[in-house]
Amino acid sequence: VIWAAAGYAGTTLALAGSLALTIFAWRAARRPPTARRAPLRRAVTLMVVGAAVSMGSLELALVTDSFAVSYVAQNSSRATPLIFKVTAGWSALAGSIVLWSVVLAGFTAGVLRQVRSADDRLGTGALAVMGAVAAFFFGLVSTVANPFGVLSPVPLDGPGPNALLQNHLMVAIHPPLLYIGYVGFTVPFAFALSALAQRQAGVEWLRRTRRANLVAWTFLSAGLGVGAWWSYEVLGWGGFWAWDPVENAALLPWLVGTAFIHSAVVQVRRGLLQSWNIVLVLTTFGLTLLGTFLTRSSVVVSVHSFTTSSVAPALLGFFVASMVVGFGLFALRGSALASTGRLESLASREGAFLVNNLLLTLLAFVTLLGTLYPVFVEAVSGSQLSVGRPFFDRMAVPIGFALLLTMGIGPFAPYRAASGRVVWSRLRLPLLLGAAAAAGLVLAGLRSAPIVLLVLLGVVVAAGSARQLLTTAPDRRPRSLLRLVRGRRGYWGGQLAHVGVVVVALAIAVSAGLSDRTSVTLRAGQSVDFAGYSLTWAGTTGTDRGFRREQTARIELRRDGALVQVLAPRLNQYPSQQQAVASPAVWTTAQQDVYVALSALEPDRISVNLWRYPMMWALWAGGAIVVAGGLWALGGRTRRPAEPEPTPAGPAAGTPEPDRTPEPATEHDPAAEPSQVPVRA
Amino acid sequence: VPDQPATNGPALAPASGGSGSNPPAARAGRPRGTDLLLLLALVGLLTVVVVGLLGGSGRPPDRAAELDARLRCPVCKSVSIADSPAETASAMRLVVREQVAAGRSDAEILAYFEERYGPTVRLDPPAAGRSLWLWVLPAIAAVAGVGLVLTRSRAGPLPTLSERDRALVAAELTALRRSGPEAVDREP
Repeated sequence: VIWAAAGYAGTTLALAGSLALTIFAWRAARRPPTARRAPLRRAVTLMVVGAAVSMGSLELALVTDSFAVSYVAQNSSRATPLIFKVTAGWSALAGSIVLWSVVLAGFTAGVLRQVRSADDRLGTGALAVMGAVAAFFFGLVSTVANPFGVLSPVPLDGPGPNALLQNHLMVAIHPPLLYIGYVGFTVPFAFALSALAQRQAGVEWLRRTRRANLVAWTFLSAGLGVGAWWSYEVLGWGGFWAWDPVENAALLPWLVGTAFIHSAVVQVRRGLLQSWNIVLVLTTFGLTLLGTFLTRSSVVVSVHSFTTSSVAPALLGFFVASMVVGFGLFALRGSALASTGRLESLASREGAFLVNNLLLTLLAFVTLLGTLYPVFVEAVSGSQLSVGRPFFDRMAVPIGFALLLTMGIGPFAPYRAASGRVVWSRLRLPLLLGAAAAAGLVLAGLRSAPIVLLVLLGVVVAAGSARQLLTTAPDRRPRSLLRLVRGRRGYWGGQLAHVGVVVVALAIAVSAGLSDRTSVTLRAGQSVDFAGYSLTWAGTTGTDRGFRREQTARIELRRDGALVQVLAPRLNQYPSQQQAVASPAVWTTAQQDVYVALSALEPDRISVNLWRYPMMWALWAGGAIVVAGGLWALGGRTRRPAEPEPTPAGPAAGTPEPDRTPEPATEHDPAAEPSQVPVRA
Repeated sequence: VPDQPATNGPALAPASGGSGSNPPAARAGRPRGTDLLLLLALVGLLTVVVVGLLGGSGRPPDRAAELDARLRCPVCKSVSIADSPAETASAMRLVVREQVAAGRSDAEILAYFEERYGPTVRLDPPAAGRSLWLWVLPAIAAVAGVGLVLTRSRAGPLPTLSERDRALVAAELTALRRSGPEAVDREP
């Protein structure tokens, strides 16, 4: 009971803190001279401490088996291992909203660090928005999603977490990553609203959110990658992406967020696309809310389950309200902020960015349409239909190829206007290498068009980056190259992420085009030939682990009679769930993955599904490269203070030297490198 | 500015070659013949790729597998019978294989399953009736997007640099190239 009281008190404190923050920051943003920073700091402190107390009490209640607390009684059990007791803190709806609000409190504290004084109106306005969003989430925790209810009589034990959420350690990693990504996009949303409300045109709001955008994007990418890995290694259906509504909900903000971090570069560099950036930021934030609503309401399974949770209507209401406020402000004030410049030529770096944005938002639109269409049809006509992989694949594959094409050309095109000659001179060697690689594959007998095309594009992207690196460096010593790459983290982090994206695309194409699968039923001692091995079922063992019963089949892989590997796919039986959860066994080698999943297990025979995926490791490696690119772009820079407001005394004494650009955020761009200025071109 | 004559001489050639450490004067003299040779090689290699790929994919089309991917496993959430490990799905895969072997058309097989499991059994609803907009809306969005991008970009002659600007850039470039690695770390 003490944990319930402490948790509820923490939540109330944090709610009070976020309301206070909204009010103080709102006042500060409206009348800066009368405001002080101290109340803002106190409000944020209250919010962070309250959030920490609330999450901490929930965890302690779970770990100490305090079944008097309603959330613990519903989502934990005595037999649950410690690690899954901890992860139960976010494996159900109420707990996941607590985690959400804790992360949000953390990001709010980050924003506060940027706000050096109360007359930073852009910053205080953003804090007011953060406070309002936080107030909504803490309000949810203290009302409809309250995990701290007190039960009496106290139950002796609970059912434990959802079976799938105590089946693998991934549940400790994947949701927090995803939530940091989701919640991080609140920061640009807050700054965009603040800039709109105060009619502050310019790139200030983009410069100040660059870090938060990159953190959110990197973590969301990591969350998606880890989620795909989880789906593949744990869920046992043999794939890593099913275009399931829950997956789409995580992909949507990533797509629009990716469009945003690209078009932000255009605005910072060239002053274009200001309105578009605001639209993207509002949309990204809206999609994180909509995604949470979709995953939490089960509305996508059937519209009629809509009312089963009272959190879902609240989320939907907040989504609608924030979009009305955001786009309403945009409609009223957007014209004051719109950039006056126009694109000079579509054949330029910013033109490529624009095409990339068009493609990414189109892909997001198609994904959203496919996800929501069945819901709309059912709501309007009552009849059901399903939209699945064939639809999404047919849409995503051409858009994806077009995106990779812009990725191959865009980063090597100069700003303003690219003549064919400059692009040709920068891309001829990479193109030649790519064509040679593709021709080599064709001659070697590979006839899958997507794979050959992806290899071509991939080599162009990688070789183009390498060429860019070598030609812009003053010499070839590793030290100089490293300094160059360190000097422009934005650009080179981006190039690294591009290489990662190509590797991911290639791995997806290979897994789609060159994999094998089969389903077999084996009797004891019987063998089947698969993926170059002879697979034999050599018995089953049962283990009781307390929180679950495991039945493990022993499958021996032999080549030329010699035992090479033993695979142990399992069926896990949880007391809370009638149907057993299958845990596949995956054997990864450099050439291929052999994937074995049990579908039925009987005393005298087993049924297994077998997959062979060539070079599956490339998918995870590609994802890791994408994340590394994001981290590289983030890292190494000390936080710069916000640009000082122009003092009444005119330009400060430390006016930058004429040959240096004063803007710190200009490092996205390599086109202005010494040897690359397209003078004659 | 592509159509400007190269009046500024070799010192202004863009770094088009792959050799960053060469003095700029050495790079500008690359003959046009090299470009032509590169282009020919590229076209040759691409011809190999296209001819190879037009010869057909390495695998014969597997109609049954294609149909499997288009049918939803009725006992799963949103997975096709090709992807589902469930028993029902493998039974349905067997039916698909039998019907393909019996020479029935894709439409006939899909209709057979729709009759038994209802319209939700199809993962790619047809572009007709209630699911028409599912296919029409992406096309409308794509056309609108392309139109928007085209109207945003202004066609017209590219602005040209004045002789004075050219001289300034040339001087800066030469200075940068001389000053070596230190220059690289500066913000552009």
